[in-house]
Amino acid sequence: MVVKELKKKRKVVEDEEDVLETYFPQNVGLELGSEDESGGEESEGEVDEFPELDPRSDSDEDGHAEEEDEGESEEDEEDEEDESEDNASEDISDDELRIFPKAKTVISDITGQPKRVYPPIEPDYDSDSSTEETPNRVGNIPMHWYDDLPHVGYDINGKKVLRPARGDELDKFLETVDDPNSWTTAFDKKAQSDKPLTSEELDLIRRLQENENPDAQYDPYEPTVEWFTGKGKEEIMPLSSAPEPKRRWVPSKWEKQKVMKIVRAIRQGRILPNKPKTTSDKPQFYAIWNEEPSTHPAPLPAPKPRLPTHAESYNPPEEYLPTEEEKKKWEETDKEDRERDYLPQKYSSLRLVPAYDQFIQQRFSRQLDLYLAPRIQRTKLQIDPNSLIPKLPSPSSLKPFPVYKSLSLAHEKRVRSISVSPDGGWVVSGDEGGVVSLWEVTVGKEVKRWKLTGKIGAIEWSPRIDVSFFVVGIEDHLHFMVPPNLPSNVLVATLDLLTPATLPPQPAHPSPVKWTSISAAAFAPEKPILTVELPPSSGVPKQITWHRRGDYLATVSGGEGQGGVWIHQLSRRHSQAPFKKIKGTVQLVLFHPTKPHFFVSTQRYVRMYNLAEQKLLKTLQPGIKWISSMDIHPLGDHLIVGGYDRKLCWFDLELSDKPYKILRYHSRAIRSLHFHPTYPLFASSSDDGSIQIFHSRVYNDLMTDPLIVPLKILRGHQIKEGLGVLQVKWVPRQPWLISAGADGNVATWFS
Amino acid sequence: MASASDVSHPVVFSTQTPYTLPSQKFMIPASWKRYHLSQLVNKALSLSSPIPFDFLVRGEILRTSLGEWCTEKGIGEEETLEIEYFESVMPPQRMSSLPHEDWVSSVSCGLQGHFVTASYDGILRVFDYSQTLLHATQVHEAPITSVSLVHNASLPEDDILVATASHDLTARLTQVNIRQRNSQDENHTKTLASLHLHTAPLSSISSSSSGAHIVTASWDSLIGVWDTLIPASDEVPVDESQNRAANRKKRRKVDEEGPRRKAPLHVLKGHTARVSKASFATHSNNIAYSAGFDSTLRAWDVENGVCTNTITASTKPFLDLAVSSEGTAIFASSSDRTVSQYDIRDPATSSSAAPVSSFFHPSTPSCISLPPSSSSSHQFVTGSYDGVVRLWDTRSVKNAVTSFKPWEGGKKILSVDWGTGVIAIGGEGGVDVWRLNQG
Repeated sequence: MVVKELKKKRKVVEDEEDVLETYFPQNVGLELGSEDESGGEESEGEVDEFPELDPRSDSDEDGHAEEEDEGESEEDEEDEEDESEDNASEDISDDELRIFPKAKTVISDITGQPKRVYPPIEPDYDSDSSTEETPNRVGNIPMHWYDDLPHVGYDINGKKVLRPARGDELDKFLETVDDPNSWTTAFDKKAQSDKPLTSEELDLIRRLQENENPDAQYDPYEPTVEWFTGKGKEEIMPLSSAPEPKRRWVPSKWEKQKVMKIVRAIRQGRILPNKPKTTSDKPQFYAIWNEEPSTHPAPLPAPKPRLPTHAESYNPPEEYLPTEEEKKKWEETDKEDRERDYLPQKYSSLRLVPAYDQFIQQRFSRQLDLYLAPRIQRTKLQIDPNSLIPKLPSPSSLKPFPVYKSLSLAHEKRVRSISVSPDGGWVVSGDEGGVVSLWEVTVGKEVKRWKLTGKIGAIEWSPRIDVSFFVVGIEDHLHFMVPPNLPSNVLVATLDLLTPATLPPQPAHPSPVKWTSISAAAFAPEKPILTVELPPSSGVPKQITWHRRGDYLATVSGGEGQGGVWIHQLSRRHSQAPFKKIKGTVQLVLFHPTKPHFFVSTQRYVRMYNLAEQKLLKTLQPGIKWISSMDIHPLGDHLIVGGYDRKLCWFDLELSDKPYKILRYHSRAIRSLHFHPTYPLFASSSDDGSIQIFHSRVYNDLMTDPLIVPLKILRGHQIKEGLGVLQVKWVPRQPWLISAGADGNVATWFS
Repeated sequence: MASASDVSHPVVFSTQTPYTLPSQKFMIPASWKRYHLSQLVNKALSLSSPIPFDFLVRGEILRTSLGEWCTEKGIGEEETLEIEYFESVMPPQRMSSLPHEDWVSSVSCGLQGHFVTASYDGILRVFDYSQTLLHATQVHEAPITSVSLVHNASLPEDDILVATASHDLTARLTQVNIRQRNSQDENHTKTLASLHLHTAPLSSISSSSSGAHIVTASWDSLIGVWDTLIPASDEVPVDESQNRAANRKKRRKVDEEGPRRKAPLHVLKGHTARVSKASFATHSNNIAYSAGFDSTLRAWDVENGVCTNTITASTKPFLDLAVSSEGTAIFASSSDRTVSQYDIRDPATSSSAAPVSSFFHPSTPSCISLPPSSSSSHQFVTGSYDGVVRLWDTRSVKNAVTSFKPWEGGKKILSVDWGTGVIAIGGEGGVDVWRLNQG
């Protein structure tokens, strides 16, 4: 369309140039319009008449446009057949042309000037499309949408166009017989009926069948246009008569030299004429991904310059403008100290903005930044810190555990050691004044008191049920005491054990430790029934620990020599030092609850010995500076070690020599640790005056790690002379805790 | 909003006292407090002598003004409040103080006009209301843990039978003549029998209301049932250890004129840990209840020696127990600082260990006592280790009705006993007696 309009325009120009010429063929066109060839002839004639060519277009186009133009301008006079023939391919453009009729330029009779004349509208039926038989106005839609409907579309008035009646197959067949033209009919989807094909359509079909150009207008045998031949069109060529130069046929000297140079090179072997291919014929592909990606980090992108703010605008809002004071202050401060390196300034228009005086300076500093600033890629960890915290059960679901101080018993001096009877009813506590108190756990009433001489360093109840006594360690002595109000059978068994009627035979190697006991007849509960005299100057026993069966007990004394470790056997009334020489000071010892293993803790390491085989099993390295306390889980696979450097290490003995877990919850040195014999609890006490209760569930399954949950911090002991809670002990069978403080109070914590 | 005095709440009163108001809605100004409400009830009933009342709103005793209570609980002005009222408990007044040298583990005011106390020094003391010490007898060498009066009609007048339990693994029956003033005279007290069963210290002793039976509870998880008849000869042989002990002569001398060694009728086995308290029901001589450290409360058929009902609470080692006079409710204090009320009547409910209601204490409640007879079935007193005696109403779970502190300095209370009009408190500071006016 556009092309056509352009042509029309051109045509109009031409018309204006030479009106007469264009006007003339119009009249002739009446006769010639019906035939194609005549149009071609005419155009040829026209070309003939115009010897000077318009370089913008070729004659063919021109002629074609002319022809179209003719057709359009004469459409009214032309018969139906011609019109349809012309516009068969371009129905829509034809319609448009109808709406906007082509104006003709004629010479006005009055003015003598060219003027445009539109063809008059003739109000006959032919001019109106309403008489046309195609009433279906559904548009270009798939007609199968109407398949199930009684109508096939709508006419221009919106009325339904009903589907024309169609006969059955028999009718169709009869029609083919009756109607001679039936073989040239085709089904029109839009009308839903058979329509005879027009002659043009039949011609098109024929052309397609014969593999001809479907365009009827196309002429493959157009006559040749003679451009350069013929009279007056000859071209006169300028030819030179100069003799041919010598160089055209004489062999080139330079070429020869070049060739000789190559030949020499080949002879000398500098050039290999048929260079053998180094690799085989197979194509060399470069495996682009084969190489390891370079470990060299990609160059870091330069930091982006800061985006300008409102304050940097040439016309900032008033609130950004500095006051006089601010301006003064800005000017007074050093360049390095300024909060920002510019002063917001206001200009009424961009024209008034002066050149940027800091430009060079800024570029320079930017270059310096880019060149000198070391750039490090900081990879930010996109980890939610909460997700790193292990999921622990809530303490309330792990009840019972001690939560409050129920009662306390006051000693006059610092209480170093306490012990709870195996039945969980009694507590003995020994203070540094030598006073031993026996009191009820639930009432806190002191029932009996012994006064000994010297500091009490350790006190421990015998784990046996059939006898009942406890051992008090004071300077160089171990006293075996019997509590009052025992059932007669227990009392008898205790006396039999501690003061046997027939003493066991003396061992071959006399021990420096003396066992002296009073006779059973002379027994009085106020006095120790049996006293073990440790070697002199061995100091206050720091620790007394019983073997589970209650026959052996080990003591650790603070004095020098032999590490102060003694293992005493009650049934043989014999003491022996298990180690001849020990590196470092022994802090603690411990019997394994189930195996014949013995733990010895020096200040840095915990060594595990097999007593039956007399050898070192392993050395645990807690990494603690000065171990202060240690306890073993009742099942025997886990050991906790506490130190003066606030650390608490949990060892899985099966797992490693290194701690499985290190807890650092106390703010001061840890003093004491104790596992509950039955409940999954352990407690730690510290010099910060607090006791911490932990839930510690140990699984028999080797795959599951022990679960350690901090449960409760119990506060209530006073810190005295830098010492807090010196010892904690659990009450067997109940989730209750007894604690001894440096302030002389022994407290009971109930669940 | 209008001023607080203008706002009034619709209130319906109810009571279980004989002083009933007509059941109708009252519009009570929000600014009214207990005093105003009490005056309202007094005036509405036109009582001759004013009776103070306390008011319970939704299980809480009204301490503030009604409006403040409502704003605290977020209750709108339109809601009808049901207020139950009962006669106020007047704050108890200290009546007398009975000093002791040692801690008092148990006190009983079962004998009208007298207090029987047991102390950790093993001495049984009898006081009368005028604070005079009538008797002091060294019944046990070891601390006495519990004392109980045994009603025995066969004894001569002025004589009482006292059962004591001690750390020395025995309980003893002692006959005390309270008329005798001269404590030097040895004839007025006589230890009749010692009860031998337990192999651990005894924690409690209690006699039935008829006085025919005694139950003892011990740390060895056994409960012994005994009759109070004094046998003619020893039922239990003398221990071997005592024969060979050094003080044999002394013992034998005691044996000659000393108490008869008595064996139990039944041994009630069932607890798995220390039994802290065993007690007879007041309404029946055949039912006993016990509480233990194994977090169970048990009801026992004493005659057959079987456990009829068990309430298993989780992780509540029970320290003391008290049974209401009708046997409907059982109160047990536990070491987790609660006193729990259980309904023990229905064996079907035994599986559900949830208490009917729980009363929270700031410290370990060591002892409970219910009022004598059925004077006020909703109240009980508890003594705790922080030295405070609290009077509770079962309808008010949140806070105690009243509380008082017998001794300064947080001395522990080990025993309370609620006699008629008096509360006797035994503990670290001796015995204190407080008068409680009811109604």
